[in-house]
Amino acid sequence: MAEAVVIQMPLLPWSLVWMAPYIAAVVIAVGWLLGVKREEFYGWISVAGILVSAILSAYLAKLVLVDGSVVHIGADSVWIPPLGVGWGSYIDGLAAVMSLVVSWISLLIAVYSIKYMEGDFGYGRYFFMISFFVGSMMLLVVADNLILMFVGWEGTGIASYALIGHWYTDEEKYWVGRPGRRVLGTPMFFEPSHSAVRAILFTRVGDVGFLIGIAALYLTAGTLSIPELSSTAGVWIAELASQGVLPLLLLVFTLGALAKSAQVPFHEWLVTAMTGPTPVSALIHAATMVKAGVYFVLRFTPIIVAGALAAGSPAIIEGVGTYFSIIAWLAVITALALSLMALVSDELKLILAFSTGSQLGYMMLGAAAGGALGVLAAGGLEAAGEGVAAGLGHLVSHAVFKAALFLAAGWIIHVAHSRFIDSMGNYAKVMKLTAAAFWIAGLSLAGLPPLSGFFTKELVIDLAYKASPIIGGLAALTALITAAYTTRMILRVFHLPPYEERAKEEPHEAPALMLVPYTILAAAALLLGLWYTGLLDTLSRAAGLSLSLEPVELKFKISSLTMSIVAGVALSMLAVSGAYIAAKIDFRKMLAESSLARVLHGFLYDRMYLNPLIYIVFVGGGSALAAIMLELDLTIDFLYHSGLVGVGVAAAVLARKIYRGRTDYIIALYLVSFAFTLLAALAILEEKFGFISRIIG
Amino acid sequence: MELELPLLWITLLAPIAVAAASPALGERASYLALAAALLLPAAILTPYALEGQLSEGVIDPVRADFTRVGIGNVMLAVDGFSYPFVIGVSIVTALVSVYSYKYMSIRLEEMREKGEDVPGHIAYLALYSIFAVSMLGMAYSTNFLLFFIFLEISLIASFLLIAFYGYGDRRRIALLYFVWTHIAGALTLLGGLYYVVNTGSFDSAVVSEGRLVYVSEAVRGTLATLAGASLLVGLLIKMAVFGVHMWLPYAHAEAPTPISALLSPNLIGLGGYGLVRFAVAFYPSLMESIQPLLVGLSFATILYGGLVALTQLDFKRFLAYSSISQMGYMLLGISALNPLGFTAASLIFLGHAIGKAVLFMVAGVFIAEQHGLRNIARMGGLAKIYPLMAATAVIGFLHLAGIPPAFGFWGELYLTISVLESPGYSGSLSLALLSMLLIASFTVTAAYSFITTRRIFFAKPRSDIDGGEVVDDFKMSVTLLAVLGIFMFLTAGLAISGVVESSQAMFLAYLS
Repeated sequence: MAEAVVIQMPLLPWSLVWMAPYIAAVVIAVGWLLGVKREEFYGWISVAGILVSAILSAYLAKLVLVDGSVVHIGADSVWIPPLGVGWGSYIDGLAAVMSLVVSWISLLIAVYSIKYMEGDFGYGRYFFMISFFVGSMMLLVVADNLILMFVGWEGTGIASYALIGHWYTDEEKYWVGRPGRRVLGTPMFFEPSHSAVRAILFTRVGDVGFLIGIAALYLTAGTLSIPELSSTAGVWIAELASQGVLPLLLLVFTLGALAKSAQVPFHEWLVTAMTGPTPVSALIHAATMVKAGVYFVLRFTPIIVAGALAAGSPAIIEGVGTYFSIIAWLAVITALALSLMALVSDELKLILAFSTGSQLGYMMLGAAAGGALGVLAAGGLEAAGEGVAAGLGHLVSHAVFKAALFLAAGWIIHVAHSRFIDSMGNYAKVMKLTAAAFWIAGLSLAGLPPLSGFFTKELVIDLAYKASPIIGGLAALTALITAAYTTRMILRVFHLPPYEERAKEEPHEAPALMLVPYTILAAAALLLGLWYTGLLDTLSRAAGLSLSLEPVELKFKISSLTMSIVAGVALSMLAVSGAYIAAKIDFRKMLAESSLARVLHGFLYDRMYLNPLIYIVFVGGGSALAAIMLELDLTIDFLYHSGLVGVGVAAAVLARKIYRGRTDYIIALYLVSFAFTLLAALAILEEKFGFISRIIG
Repeated sequence: MELELPLLWITLLAPIAVAAASPALGERASYLALAAALLLPAAILTPYALEGQLSEGVIDPVRADFTRVGIGNVMLAVDGFSYPFVIGVSIVTALVSVYSYKYMSIRLEEMREKGEDVPGHIAYLALYSIFAVSMLGMAYSTNFLLFFIFLEISLIASFLLIAFYGYGDRRRIALLYFVWTHIAGALTLLGGLYYVVNTGSFDSAVVSEGRLVYVSEAVRGTLATLAGASLLVGLLIKMAVFGVHMWLPYAHAEAPTPISALLSPNLIGLGGYGLVRFAVAFYPSLMESIQPLLVGLSFATILYGGLVALTQLDFKRFLAYSSISQMGYMLLGISALNPLGFTAASLIFLGHAIGKAVLFMVAGVFIAEQHGLRNIARMGGLAKIYPLMAATAVIGFLHLAGIPPAFGFWGELYLTISVLESPGYSGSLSLALLSMLLIASFTVTAAYSFITTRRIFFAKPRSDIDGGEVVDDFKMSVTLLAVLGIFMFLTAGLAISGVVESSQAMFLAYLS
């Protein structure tokens, strides 16, 4: 963005791009306090707030992506003078695309929610939190400093906590997991109020890391402004290196992003977050929350690469390279592991949740591979830019197709009266539009041309392969598994008969207010793919206009790798379809008969036992430690309030025995002790001030 | 700058005057008038904060110089560092006063039904106003003797409040509280006296050309170390850090709830104020030499208080242990011994004052309206019956956990910065260790906050709960306090500037 013009804009009204949903939230809260009963009030106020945000971000995105400038809103505003932070927003290419995606997808989800949440006892609370959620996400995307970004970041945490636990009365129909299932003594079913606590605590661990990073940057860089951090990156990276904390501090700083974006082992909070209302899942997975972590990595990858290149010493380059390699490995492990778990899951929303975690791995991988190429393979800022474009591109396509999948799933679960795919089936016959939308979005997830998911996933895998053939290979393998679980999910829900007795009520197509949002999204997934030259062009423009980056040119060329992946994906889909439709393989019978299959299935179904492990170590360990501390506390209590008191009582008894009430003893002892004290006092005064010598002499 | 009128003295006298006039005013009006009087400090001082004048000190004109008799300057002053303390005490005591009316009416009725002979509203108002004013006085004091006198007054007033209106074995607990805090007081006094014997003044700050100037004279030697340790230990007992905390869970859990809401965040936090103003000012070299010990004690207190809190089933006792944990955070900021650490301590005080008061008040709502319900095991599902209180309590927990948009965030941020700035931080190993300790600490705080929220407010009710939530001024006072905390988060800039500037000035005078 070296040559981009920075347009200065006043704080108001332009900050409404993030403030408007917050204002809507305040209006909703006041309405609730005043006792407004009409549901429409809450729903449409929320939608109105997000609409303002969406329109403004569209205008700002036009200024950036079409006119090629960068917008700084309220640059001179003041909030906390000693920290040098204000209320400003900084919209470069990255923020422009992000805010566009976040606000418009959230808008569709909010509209869908008006119908979906009809009659819910927490209707007002729901829309308060949705508005707060979108406002927070917009804030963290456009914030021009780390404090404001962190405020938005934590805001999304609180909102997701409240929304995941929206049905806090914990009825069984809102749970995730098979009720009663335990592994290693740990329950593998989760009530909404439990999932909410998990979400906020898992992410809290990472957020403290983020905060430590902010503190360290404040101390070393002397600024918290993101554009300034970008322009001084060489200095503070060198400074960190001289303190001997370089790769570690960057990792601690990124911990927040890893937790937020559910990278292994933090994915645990995301999969149980499915206890929230389905539109909330759509919001968390497509537009807000989990995308925050990816955004963070996209935002700081180029800054770190530019800083390392500017600082220049081999040790720094190596340290930063290690950092990117660790992130890339975590990302590809996440992508692969969660796609495998999706393969065996039997809850519709859970399959989609695993899939999100897996796809988030791709996005992280894109950025990290770009970063690693940038420093290690001398790819420079161009490689970092390609990484950002690839990660951002996949974020955009995922946002679109995953929102469509979740919103459609919301309707399907509603008509099935069950979250398990065992009770779903043959829905293609009764809801053709939903099936079509689901197919299009699903194929985009599977990465089949000409859908947008294909192009963006290819970009990521291509970069990953260049950075490390092993990582690239694993990413390609993940693509095949993705195709397999997607096919299985769609076949089971839409084309095969249900395993279990279906609810009596005959399923039918969704009402317009719900159907329209996800049909639009599915159409968008298709159009983005057909318009892929424009998409890639926009992504390169966006990356080129982002902090620390130079203009990049995104080229899409069909390589042998691409060809083999497409072939693999197609084969994988055919194989799954063949197994289900032509060969009519009964997987349940297979499980019942083969113990190996059961072990393998159980390993994946129970999420590789990571959850019991985390619970045994942290929850169990914490409780044990707390119990020990409580014992210690009781001991301390006893020592002071019984022990010490007892000693006092015993001393009194002893003293009474000595004196036995005889006045002559008491007077004698009193006189002796008085004389002793007096002499001692005089001695001290003499020693200190020469008191007696002064009187005498 | 020196005030033209003795406004700070007036803020100390006005609440007492209201209490004295309470027989004529009537009960409800008295509580409201007391609240108004207690808000005066916030109203008077905030304009100076907005003008950015706090760091030069706002000094009351009525002051006396007793330096010749070895006492120093008896005066009231507020600087950037003490401003959050004053605001915390002022706002919390004011809103708790509004809250007290309904709570104490129910409490008195309940006690009288049991046939207990208990002093009525007028005695409560008198003691309450003395208690509140003495805490304000502590926050206004830069002179050790004055601080100590206000401290003793606050102890006597709170002792009587617990003894008259407390729960459980209240006379024994009041006595226990009195003995502990008295030992603390004696130790504190000893440390202060040694300093005055050697330097001829109790002052940690004097007025020069209309500005507050921080002063510190070095006292050295073995005796000085002992005296410093005595002062330090006295104040640490006051703060209830790990090892000498044992009085707090009794006193704070069994005090009448409005008094818990003042004791727990305000009074113990003022121990931290004393640490910076007097322990650091009088015995800086001692503080520097035992810094690692203090840092260790802080983390121990944070984790210990937080973990024991998780095991508590009594809502108020749970909050009491959470207060111990929060004092660990405050001590951690102080033990960083750098300006940002002092800033953190001051900001943590305010965040905790709001958050903890809110939570005690919520606990009190259930005690007052649900026949003394305070056992968490019998709660659950209360969000459905008390939605406003549930939302309010969550905001209270956000203050404790330092999560924006709660004011507590500023304390957490500055604490993290100050810990990383303190000496000893260099290299990956110490970064890894500090990161793990900070992550463990903040996560334990968040864990007990959100796990307890779930136990109290979510899932199905575990006992019969009467009726629903009637929004009255009793509950609105709680919500208002919580929302004020958010408002203060948004408008914290100028106050933080003042805290940072005064903390830097104190650091330069005391430690370098």
